[in-house]
Amino acid sequence: MAKKIVISNGWTDKLYYPTRISLLFAFVLVFFSEFNPARILTQMNKNMSLFTSALSYERIVVNIKYEINHNYIFKSDIYSLMIASALMVAGVIILSVAACISLGNLKMKRISNYVTLGGAAAVIAGFFKMLATYSLYKAADLEIADTVGFNMATDKLPAALFFMLGFAILQLICAILLVVFQPRPAKDEKCEMATSYKLFIMFLPFIVLSFIFSYLPLYGWRYAFFNYKSGPGTLNMDDFVGFKWFRSLIENPMTRSDIYRVMRNTLIMSGLGIATSWLAMAFAIFLSEIKCGWFRRLVQVTTTIPNFISWVLVYAIAFAIFSNEGFINNIMTKLTGVPHNELYLMDNHALYLKMLLWGIWKGIGWSAIIYIAGISGIDQQLYEAATVDGAGRFQKMVHVTLPGLMPTYSVMLLMSVAGILSNGMDQYLVFSNAKTKDTLEVLDLYVYTLGIGAGKIPLSTVIGMLKTLVSVTLLFIANRISKTVRGESII
Amino acid sequence: MANQEEISIDVLKASCNKRKKHVKLKGGDAAFLITDYLVFGLFALLCFFPFYYLFINTVSNSEMVARGDVNFYPIGFTLQNYKDLLALSDLGRAFVVTVSRTVIGTALMVVASAFCGYLVTKKEMWNRKFWYRFLVITMYFNAGLIPGYTNMLMLGLTDNFLGYIIPAIVQPFNIILVKTYIESIPGELEESAFIDGAGHMMIFRKVILPLSKPILATIAIFGAVGHWNSFMDSVINMQNSPNLHTLQHKLYIWLNQSSNIASVIDTGRSSSDLEKIISQLNSGKVIKYTIAMVTVLPILLVYPWMQKYFEKGIMLGAVKG
Repeated sequence: MAKKIVISNGWTDKLYYPTRISLLFAFVLVFFSEFNPARILTQMNKNMSLFTSALSYERIVVNIKYEINHNYIFKSDIYSLMIASALMVAGVIILSVAACISLGNLKMKRISNYVTLGGAAAVIAGFFKMLATYSLYKAADLEIADTVGFNMATDKLPAALFFMLGFAILQLICAILLVVFQPRPAKDEKCEMATSYKLFIMFLPFIVLSFIFSYLPLYGWRYAFFNYKSGPGTLNMDDFVGFKWFRSLIENPMTRSDIYRVMRNTLIMSGLGIATSWLAMAFAIFLSEIKCGWFRRLVQVTTTIPNFISWVLVYAIAFAIFSNEGFINNIMTKLTGVPHNELYLMDNHALYLKMLLWGIWKGIGWSAIIYIAGISGIDQQLYEAATVDGAGRFQKMVHVTLPGLMPTYSVMLLMSVAGILSNGMDQYLVFSNAKTKDTLEVLDLYVYTLGIGAGKIPLSTVIGMLKTLVSVTLLFIANRISKTVRGESII
Repeated sequence: MANQEEISIDVLKASCNKRKKHVKLKGGDAAFLITDYLVFGLFALLCFFPFYYLFINTVSNSEMVARGDVNFYPIGFTLQNYKDLLALSDLGRAFVVTVSRTVIGTALMVVASAFCGYLVTKKEMWNRKFWYRFLVITMYFNAGLIPGYTNMLMLGLTDNFLGYIIPAIVQPFNIILVKTYIESIPGELEESAFIDGAGHMMIFRKVILPLSKPILATIAIFGAVGHWNSFMDSVINMQNSPNLHTLQHKLYIWLNQSSNIASVIDTGRSSSDLEKIISQLNSGKVIKYTIAMVTVLPILLVYPWMQKYFEKGIMLGAVKG
């Protein structure tokens, strides 16, 4: 199927390596908020990347409405910043397209060289436009300082901009060299590309998306090593503090007691979940004893529905049943004749157990499906043989069905042990209120309240980071156990 | 003993088909079966009743509901509550946001998963194994909440509708499902199409897509439920734009109004005071029930018909990439 296209054009092929590598860097740079060329004033939004400053005027001006209203900075300046950013982003996109084209045969390579020239030119043009706007503004700033005696805090040109220029110039030089020295393609040559590269280019968008949303966030782990100063909508990187936040987990008594409480909650909830995980298997076994078709289907449909509603809806249901005007209180009022107004949802007693029960209510029917399928996969002859040997219903359940399901159960158990730190936060977030929040705060929720709620970005990052590392380690251990015991991996 | 088994099965069949048959059943066995049926019947009721309770409260006379009279059947049937919901404009917007993210997000995710799943079955692809692992390994690690959030900030996807859609396009798990399914399609079909001169895109559109409909339906339904239910992304990424909150988020806000306000005024008040305040705040419970009903209804309506797809999904999920 694959058509071999032999391409070797001597030393000029090597020129594509610097081109592609510098393109990778330039591409990543486009998304980094440290590289925010539109940031003329220090009080401007710091979470912008080159990409966003090219796209959104609103985001650029979000913190500098005052300065704009007083004409300290002109709208036209912001527009030229946007144009400059857009030129650079467009240049990088053009360069990426060129890099894709350059995977083809000589004719396509030839085309790609010219496209690269265009892209590099766009980036360089963007750079100088940016430079011009900055210097123009610098001059205007001095003028303002002269007249009103008030110096606007002008920001420096980001260093990354010069990297970008460097990459573009590198690309430009390579492209020129290629144009000059690359052998000319034959006149009748058609644009062609090897199948392997064609497929790769089709796959590339998914790689990019996966990179941006799964790998790029890892760069956010840097917050764990820096001090963070809060401000309206800003993430202000001040200075490197090494492992200060890691140490504060142990050294700061407040944090320490919080961590202790949160870990206790997390482990108890997960532990209860793991201790009752056999319930799903029991559910499947006892359900399979029911031979009446429609009843079984009915049970299965009704018991799996809760799995498909969100925890918010579960809470809505809890609210309808258990709130002070809910079902239970209504019934109690009717039965006793005395008005009942119990606040069950604000009750802190046996909270772990209640959460466990909600979890079971929501999940058991669904978890049982895999075991039900497992039961139908058990060889019927085993049951027949057991019957012949005089086994009763219970003996068959214990000696045939249960061993048949054990492999599945052990995998599920291993997975849940590996996920012991991840209870998910939805359930605990929706159920927590003034009375219950101390008991319901699990690790995931703590990271959320600490980071988003209290704005303690570094500490929250540290905890999230440690959690991820521990979880991944646990998963690999579980996988190794599974490999040695069962000869099968679980991931 | 063998006899006993046959008899008990007969009894079951009889009970199913409502054929009266006089058979003798061993006492313990009968007791077991009755308990079994009872327990499962009760649990099914436990799963079903809350939805029913919500429903009857939303279609009953609100005065009766406020007095706590509506517990088992609707009283004074009315659709007024649903009409009242229409007046809450921000709820309508949340509904539109949720529906559009569900439709657009699911469609894009399914197309992407199908195409991606097809591509990773192509052995000729440059460094296929590496790129496939590059994608799949992302299932097992997670940078964490704050890095994820700052990443969205960096990309400009916070307070932006696209923030619901774009991150959810590439779903490694679904790609694995599609890949496994496509691998089970006989390779001859593709080969013959290739010999007939079809390119990769053509083969994908004309051969692979029609043949993998069942698996695409499965991931579509999972994706749609996921989008419909998703709540944390609205809470975290759309903090500053109430216009973009999803229905689930709005429901959460409505439900929590009382306890949130209560927690604010919690300090320095006796608990009986607190209870009084909460009682006052909870009085709008019908509207909360109705919002919950509107949110849960699509799932309740779709689920029973789609159950086989859901089950297929989880069974396929047991097959690893």
